[in-house]
Amino acid sequence: MRSARRTGWLLAIPMAALAVATIYPLVFTANVAMKTRREYVLDRFALAESIRWDSFVAAWTTAGMARYFVNSVVVVSIAVALLLLLGSMAGFALSHLRFRGSRVLFLGFLAALFVPFQVIMVPLARTMADVGLLDTYAGLILAYVAQFLPFTIYLMTSYFSGIPRELVDAARVDGNTFYGVYRRIMLPLGKPALLSVGILNALFCWNDVLIALLVMRSADQRTLMIGVTTLRGQYSDNIPTFAAGVLIAAVPVLAIYLFFQRRIVDAITAGATKG
Amino acid sequence: MAVEGTPLSVRPAGAGRTDNGRASDRRSRRPDPGTRSGPPRNRRRLTSDRLAPYILVAPAVLIIVAFRLWPLALGINFSFTGDLDRDGQPVGLANYIELFRDPLFQIALRNVGLLVLLLPVAVAIPGALATFIFLRVPGHRFYRSVYFFPAVLSPVIAGAIFNLLLAYNGPLNRLIGTVGLGPIDWLGDPKLAMFTVVGVHIWATFGMALVIFLAGFATLDHALLDAARVDGASLPQVIWHVILPGLSRTIQFVVVTTMIGLLTSMFALLYVMTSGGPGGATYLPEYYIWVQMGQMNRPALASAASTVLFFIMLVVGLVQVAILRRAGRED
Amino acid sequence: MRQKIYGPVVLVAALALTSCGSATGSGTSSGGATDTLVVWDWKSGDASAAAYLEQARADFAEQHPDTTVEFVAQPFDQYYTLLGAAIQAGEGPDVIMFNGGGQLRDRTGALVPLDDYVADDQQRLAGWEAFSDDGEIYAAPVTLQGHPVYYNKGLYEQAGLDPEQPAATWDEFLDNCATIEDATGAHCFAMGNQEGSGIQFFMSGMGPSILTPAEYDAWIEGERDWQAPNVRQIFELWTEVETTGLNNPGVNSTTMFTDMFAIFEAGEAAHVIGLMSDIGHWKDFNEFLGEDAVGVMDPPIVTDGAAPLLPYDGGIGYGVARWTADPALAADLVRSLTSTDALTAFYLESGAIASDTSIDTSGSGAAAGTLVAQLETGKPALHVALSSATQELMGRLSQQLLSDSVTVDEALEQLAASDQAE
Repeated sequence: MRSARRTGWLLAIPMAALAVATIYPLVFTANVAMKTRREYVLDRFALAESIRWDSFVAAWTTAGMARYFVNSVVVVSIAVALLLLLGSMAGFALSHLRFRGSRVLFLGFLAALFVPFQVIMVPLARTMADVGLLDTYAGLILAYVAQFLPFTIYLMTSYFSGIPRELVDAARVDGNTFYGVYRRIMLPLGKPALLSVGILNALFCWNDVLIALLVMRSADQRTLMIGVTTLRGQYSDNIPTFAAGVLIAAVPVLAIYLFFQRRIVDAITAGATKG
Repeated sequence: MAVEGTPLSVRPAGAGRTDNGRASDRRSRRPDPGTRSGPPRNRRRLTSDRLAPYILVAPAVLIIVAFRLWPLALGINFSFTGDLDRDGQPVGLANYIELFRDPLFQIALRNVGLLVLLLPVAVAIPGALATFIFLRVPGHRFYRSVYFFPAVLSPVIAGAIFNLLLAYNGPLNRLIGTVGLGPIDWLGDPKLAMFTVVGVHIWATFGMALVIFLAGFATLDHALLDAARVDGASLPQVIWHVILPGLSRTIQFVVVTTMIGLLTSMFALLYVMTSGGPGGATYLPEYYIWVQMGQMNRPALASAASTVLFFIMLVVGLVQVAILRRAGRED
Repeated sequence: MRQKIYGPVVLVAALALTSCGSATGSGTSSGGATDTLVVWDWKSGDASAAAYLEQARADFAEQHPDTTVEFVAQPFDQYYTLLGAAIQAGEGPDVIMFNGGGQLRDRTGALVPLDDYVADDQQRLAGWEAFSDDGEIYAAPVTLQGHPVYYNKGLYEQAGLDPEQPAATWDEFLDNCATIEDATGAHCFAMGNQEGSGIQFFMSGMGPSILTPAEYDAWIEGERDWQAPNVRQIFELWTEVETTGLNNPGVNSTTMFTDMFAIFEAGEAAHVIGLMSDIGHWKDFNEFLGEDAVGVMDPPIVTDGAAPLLPYDGGIGYGVARWTADPALAADLVRSLTSTDALTAFYLESGAIASDTSIDTSGSGAAAGTLVAQLETGKPALHVALSSATQELMGRLSQQLLSDSVTVDEALEQLAASDQAE
C-alpha cells in the first residue's frame, strides 16, 4: 500500500508538468488577448502591459457574437439532445436485441463513421438545397446529427454491451417492454457514457466551422465559431482580437465540461458501489 | 466480462442471415411464458417485440442514409467526372490515375502509414493518464479538470501558439539550449515536422479520449480491482490484469476514433503550422483534398482523393476492430 | 431516477418537433431574387473595411434604392472551398470577391464577362490584367498588390550608411548588408517560407532586376523558358541568400504573415520584400518603425541590362456570378464597390493601395508616395502569371531547395513540366 502511494507521487510529477502544459496555452491566449497588436508583434511572450478588454469588446462586436451566440446555443443543444436520444436508442438495439440484419446495420454505422466530411460536403450541400433545408436551423441540426451520429451510436453500443444481459432478461421477466428496459436500465446505467458523448458532441458541434458554413449561407443565420473564424481574415494579422474571440467562444464549452465531469465521476463512483 | 451476444464482440463472423433470423425468433419468444394476461395481449407484445429493434434504429438509419450515405454515393460518382474545362463530363478512372501518379499524394499516403504506426502512442497517452486519475494519484481531481482544456481551444489558436513556442529562435529551443542541445528546427526539418504536428494534435485532443476512458472505467468491476489490491498486486499488474481486459471495448472505441481524428481532423493544424511543408513532408490526404478542392479548383480530383481516404479508413478501421476484438476475447 | 430520465426524453421530443417546424418557417436568402444581392468576401468582417463598405452601399443605394445588399464574410481558409461547393450546386452569391490571378482564371466559367459593364472604369482603375482571361474581364480590381523591397532607414543610419542612397547593384547591396549586420546585428532579409510563398515574393520582388526587360515581358505573355540562365539565376540566388546567411534563421518554419513581417517591424532585419495592400505594407511598417524610417528601394540589379520596376497586379476584386438573376444590377454593385469614394475610404482606413490611381496619397509618408509614383511604369508580377498548380509546386520546391533536398536543375525541370502542362 505504501509503495503504491509512492508510485502515485512519482506519477504526479509528470502529470503536474502536463497539467502546466495544458493550462499554459490558455493563459498565453488570455495574455495575448490583453495586448495591443503592437505589443504582440514586438514580444509575444511578455506580460501584457496592462489589463485591457478592448480586444474582447472588438471581438464581441465585429464578430456579431451576441446574435450568433443564440444561433449556436439553439442548434447545438437540439442537435446534442437528438444525438443522445437516437444514439442511445440505436445503441440499445444493437447491443442487446437480436434482429435480422443487425450485424449488417452495425457495420453500416461503423462504415458511416469512416466517411470523411470532405467527400460528402459538396453533395451534402446539394442534397440540403434539394430538400429545402439550406440556411435553416433544421438543416444544420440534421447535418450535425448525421455527422456525429455514427460516433455516438458506436460509443453507446460498445458501452451498453458492457451491461450484463441478465439485467435485461430480469427486467423482461418482470414484465417490462423493450421501451421499459431502455428507460429503466439502459438510460440510468448509461449515464457516464451519455454524459461523455454529450460533452464531446457539444464540443464538436460548437467548434464546427465547415458544416455550419456550408449549410448556413446568410449572415444572420451563422454560428458563433464562424464569427470567430472570420476575425482572422486572409492574413492572421489581428491576433489579439482573434485570441479574445476564441476565449469567449471557449468559455461555454469549458463550463459545460467542468459542470458535467463531476457527474461523470459521480456515476463512476456509483458504479463502484454497485460493482 | 459480459460480452455474450453483442454484435460487436462475439457474434461469430460466419453467422448467416438464416441463423440470425432464427436467433431473433428465439429471443423474442423467450420472455413470453404467459406470465401475464390472455393471448391477444401476448400476440400484440410479440409483434411489438419483433418491431421494437427496428423502431429503435429507424430514425438513425434514415438520417444517416439521407445525409451521409446518399451524399457519399453522389460523391463517389462525382469522382469519375472531370474538372475545369472537362467539368461534369465522365472521365472514367482519370482522376484516380492522376492521383496515384501525383508525388504529393504518394507522400500523403506514406504519412497515413506513419500515423497508423503512431496510433498506439496517441491512444496510450490518454489511456495511461485516465488510469492514473482513476487510481487517484495525488491531485487527480485537478488533472481531470485541466486536461480537457486544450480540447476546447480552436486548432487554429493551438497551432498558432505552438508555432511561436516551436519557432527556431523560440522558447523551447532556448530551453534545450541551456542544457547544451543545439536548436532544432521543429517545423522546418522535413524529417521531424510530421512528428511535431502529430505531437501537437495529440496534445490538442487527448482530453477527449480521456473523457471516453473515464466513462469506460464506470463499467469496470470494482470488486475485482479491490481484490487485486488486497492481494498486493503492483500497479503494473493491476493495469495489465484487471484494467486492460476490462476496458477492451473502450480501448477499441478510442483506437478507432483516434485514428479517424488523426486522418480527418488535422487540417487546421497543418494549415497553420506547416501548410503541408516543408517540401510536402507533412501532407496528409485530408490536406491534399482541401488544397485540391479550394485553391486548385479540382473538386472532382478532391472527390477521388476523398474516396481513396474513405476506403483506407474503412480497411484500417475494420482491421483494427477485428484485431482488437480477437485480443479482447483472449483475455 | 426514473423521473429524471423522463424529462430529457420529453424535452428532446419537443425540441425535435420545433426543429422540424422551423424548416419550413425561415426562407433562404441566397442569390436569385432581384430585391437582394448577396456578396461573398473575406473582408467585410474587418473593422478596417467598414468605411469602405458604407461608401459603396451608399453609392449603390442612390441608384437602386429598392435593392438590399447583404455582405457575407467567409473565413479565408475555407473561402475557395465554399465557393467551389456553391459553383457545383449552381447557386450562391451574386457578387464574389476574388484574389487576382489563378484563383479567378480557374473559375471564369462561373462568372459573367464584365467588359460592357465596366467600360467607363477601365481608364480610372489599374490592375485589370489579373482579373482578365482570354481578353475578357471577369472582375473589377479594388486593391493593387505588389512586391516592393522595403528597407529600414534607421538601421542604415546606425550602420553609417546613407539611408537615402540604397544599393543599386547586388554587389553593393551585399556590402551594405555586411556593414549593417556588423553594426546592428540585424539580418539582411526578413524571410518566411513556411507556407511556401516566400519564393513568390522573392521571384516577383527580385525578378525585375534579374530578367532582362524582353525576358520579363515574354514571361508575362506566357513564353517562359525555365532553362534560361536568368531564370535559373532567380532560383540560384534564392538558395544563395539562404546559404550565405542573409536570411533570418529557420526560414522554412517562419510564417510569412505573423513572423516575417514582425522581424522587419521589430528592426531585426534591414530589408523585406513586402506587400502593397492588406498587411506587410507601408502603413504597417510606418506604424512600427516611424514614417521616416520606412524606405522603398528598387531591387538591386543582378543582371546587366535589367531594368528594375514595381511588380504589381490587381489584388482583390469583385466579379458577378453567372447564376445571378440580373447581371446588370450585380455589375452596378461591382461598380459601386470600385467607385472613387469607396476606394478612397478603403485606402484611408486600411492603407491598401487602391486600384483607383486618381486617389490623392500625399500625406501618407515617403514610402506610399514612392509606390504610387512607380505604378505608372510597373508591370505584372512574375509569379502571378503562373497557374495555381505551378505556384504550389514552386512553393514546395523552394522549401526543398532551402533544406538541400533538391537541386536547382531538378526544380527547374519539374517547374517547366508543370508550367507546360497548363
